[in-house]
Amino acid sequence: MLVATVVGQVWSTRKERTLEGLRLLVVQPFTLRNETAETVVAVDTIGAGVGERVLVVFGRAARHAIGKGPDVGFQSAIVGVVDGMDLGGKRVGQTAEDDE
Amino acid sequence: MFLGRVIGEVWSTRKAPDLVGKRLLVVEPLDSDHDRPASMVKPVVAADPLGAAYGEHVVVAFGKAARVACGGDGDYAFEAAIVGIVDDFHVPDAPPSWRATPPAETHSTGGRS
Repeated sequence: MLVATVVGQVWSTRKERTLEGLRLLVVQPFTLRNETAETVVAVDTIGAGVGERVLVVFGRAARHAIGKGPDVGFQSAIVGVVDGMDLGGKRVGQTAEDDE
Repeated sequence: MFLGRVIGEVWSTRKAPDLVGKRLLVVEPLDSDHDRPASMVKPVVAADPLGAAYGEHVVVAFGKAARVACGGDGDYAFEAAIVGIVDDFHVPDAPPSWRATPPAETHSTGGRS
């Protein structure tokens, strides 16, 4: 599971059948020490918005969270919106604006 | 499965039902090639059934091992769990930072602001 920030949304018409009706968000993984990581596209069932930090899972956990069975055309899913993180006294908020 | 160190905790209210009641810790993998962990480290969020504390070294497992550690091989909306709190380790070439308290200045770049 990763923490990531929602940076956008993707729309697709010609797509794998099992992706129909699913909301696809582009998320940027949270990293340490000001590095950037490549973005991930994840299915969203929580209703996360751009700028919000979220919890992202992969594989079986993602398929279970979406609940469309074991044979689906996605592998990552958003399973929670982060209220906050405590990193050794440094408070990380729901969005970058909430950081201390 | 990897050796890491607990650097924080995450809270979430809006989340998948089977994450309710689960303690979620932020774990930084230890990296033998760098004095500090890899420059692009993405910390892993792991369920914690054992009660690990900030700064402790832990072993994190994925997949079935993680599910079993959390009470059975059912379906859960997470894939990583802490399966051991490390008493001690012996890695002769480990950088000194492996034993240090995690830096408090760990920094967020979670968004493009």
